[in-house]
Amino acid sequence: MGPALKIGLIGLSAALAIGLSAIATGLAQSKIGSAMAGAVAERPELVGSAIIMVAIPETMVILGFVVAFLITALKSAE
Amino acid sequence: MIEKMAKVEILGLKDIAIDAIDVIHDLGTLHIEDLSERIGSMETKRVTRMEMDPKFAEHEATLNNLRAKVGDMIRELQPDTDNMPHEEVQNEYKALWSDNIEVMISRVEKMLREVERDTKDTVERKADLLVELSRLEKYAPIMAKVQPLAERVSKMQDMASIALIIERKYKAILNYLNEEISKITGGECEIIAQDVDDESTAALIVFNRRYLKQVHEFLAVQDVNQVRLPSDIAKKPIDEAVGEVRARIAQIPGEIDEIDRKLAGVTGRYSVKLIATRNAIHDRLEAMDAVPKFAQTDQIFIISGWLPEPEVSPMESALADKFGNKVILTVVDVREEHGEEETPVSLHNNPFTRYFEILYMLSKYPRYGTVDPTIVFAFFFPILFGMMVGDMGYGLIIMVAGWIVHKKFSQKPMLNMIGFVLTIAGAWTIFFGVIYLEFFGDWIYKWLGLLNEEGELTKYILGTKNSIFKWPLDRIEGFTFMLAVCMIIGWVHMCIGLVIGMINGHREGNYKHAIEKGGLFLVLTGAMMGIAKFGMAWWPTALAYVGILLVLGGLVMAGYGAGFGGAIEGVVGMGNLFSYARLIAIGLASVIMANVANEILREPPMSGFAGLLVGIIMFILLQALNIVIGVFSPSIHSLRLHLVESFGKFFEPAQVRYEPFKKTGGEE
Repeated sequence: MGPALKIGLIGLSAALAIGLSAIATGLAQSKIGSAMAGAVAERPELVGSAIIMVAIPETMVILGFVVAFLITALKSAE
Repeated sequence: MIEKMAKVEILGLKDIAIDAIDVIHDLGTLHIEDLSERIGSMETKRVTRMEMDPKFAEHEATLNNLRAKVGDMIRELQPDTDNMPHEEVQNEYKALWSDNIEVMISRVEKMLREVERDTKDTVERKADLLVELSRLEKYAPIMAKVQPLAERVSKMQDMASIALIIERKYKAILNYLNEEISKITGGECEIIAQDVDDESTAALIVFNRRYLKQVHEFLAVQDVNQVRLPSDIAKKPIDEAVGEVRARIAQIPGEIDEIDRKLAGVTGRYSVKLIATRNAIHDRLEAMDAVPKFAQTDQIFIISGWLPEPEVSPMESALADKFGNKVILTVVDVREEHGEEETPVSLHNNPFTRYFEILYMLSKYPRYGTVDPTIVFAFFFPILFGMMVGDMGYGLIIMVAGWIVHKKFSQKPMLNMIGFVLTIAGAWTIFFGVIYLEFFGDWIYKWLGLLNEEGELTKYILGTKNSIFKWPLDRIEGFTFMLAVCMIIGWVHMCIGLVIGMINGHREGNYKHAIEKGGLFLVLTGAMMGIAKFGMAWWPTALAYVGILLVLGGLVMAGYGAGFGGAIEGVVGMGNLFSYARLIAIGLASVIMANVANEILREPPMSGFAGLLVGIIMFILLQALNIVIGVFSPSIHSLRLHLVESFGKFFEPAQVRYEPFKKTGGEE
């Protein structure tokens, strides 16, 4: 495997790690967000819980970001 | 900490019940228990719900009417309640208050008559002007549209016209009107329509004057709005009418301002009285509303409730002083008679920690008998926040802004608390900013020449590239080290939650619960020991094996304590550790954005003055955006780490908050 291909694959892996987790987070947040918006319209006192609920799926993209960063660090370590 | 509560029952002779309720209301420390449910489940019919004297019920209706009137007046006069002197309100409240309801009602009515006398005409005139203004503003654009046509019609002696306004979505009705009016007038009519705005269409029906009556009759039974102007304007030719409408629209705001100035004078005179009256009526009605929650027999009344333990003696003395042995207060042992679930919770924290009770605006209070975690939140929230933002410049801005909000909104509890929490969080942001040596990004690195040409950190103030502990700690270069630090902080944070869980289990005598939490503690500790082996080559292999044993032992303990769910919880707990990676991930995103803003300023996209200007604008915009995100996102994530990862291990919500039955004292 040539070095250019290797760097390319490492870059692609990092992009997939952050990209796929971002899509997953987006999908989850869209569902939670719309449900919580409905709930808050009925019971405004739920706004605090709503913010926390919407933030919960962000763990996926954050971990995706960490993995992507570690993958690129792997590249620079070489 | 959660204040220790005492459950009390107050019994006394029925004929002094109202006086006793008044004393309790004055003291304002008793959280009333609604006895109606207990009475319903009793076999004996001797104990019933306390009923109000029919005479009092009549007064209740009068007081409700008076409350509505006072509310209307406050809405109309809009007194400045924020800057109202509390002493004056209290004095006015005392002057109004009387143990005799009839006396109090007559005082309130007298005061309302005075206010009405001085404001009625002005308030009515203002309401009329507002209605007139809104009607004219609605019709002015319609008249402007139909004016050219109407002018032509007015020159034709035998023709008449009627202006209509129709919702645009029902515009098709014009065809129907045209057909029907054509039938009435034998074809001598025409409808001209023009859209006024996105929602309405103006139409002018022109027809032979002979059919005026029939057309009016026809339109009267149709559901269409005719443009009806004030009678004095309607009689005038349309061009004159349009001019007058515009003149009135310009004139009315001035008249309203004049009325507002007059009202402001009256408001100043009566605002304290109105607020004191509102509070006094509120207190009186609250006392009446409480009556059905009490119980009675033929001879005695029974009041039950909770109050903080130090408040028992003052209440006992107050009742004894006033009623002697006609009223008795008995302390009931909470643990024996009632579950802790229904005990109301009151928090009593030190002045510093009290600001962090803002947490309970998002969550319920902790259950009575468990540990209040406010101090954990007060300690960790600002640290986690500061760790994520970690920039001296941002920290300074957050701290100053927080302090200003805290001071400016001293009367608004929520903003006051947010301001204080941000001030402390800002201080920790500066602390971590010093560790990362960040000041609006990488400026200090550049000034001290710590970076090479590729922008990589090559020089350190303390230590070298290969040292474990070095300063500055660059978040980009030291990512893996920071990741380990975040997990250690996560482990400490979650373990504190588990220790509290064990204490709660012990306090409740639920030892299986305590064993489960202890098991989870071992799982987390073992997992950390295992993970350390992968992260640090020097970590002894033997300790990694000990870690694995701890995980297995912990899973068994958690399983014993809480069954299969406990074992699952152990696995989830290990996952929770990785959730703390957000502490570095969010900060890293922020520092990269700050560096991009700096780079744009240092190397603007264009040369010359224009480039510098664009660079400065971009720098300010990006840094401002980063600060806003830097406040919002770390707050949410720090909160989440508390509510989900740490408090999720032990927190049991309270069903009821301590809300004593008390008078506003003129400070509602």
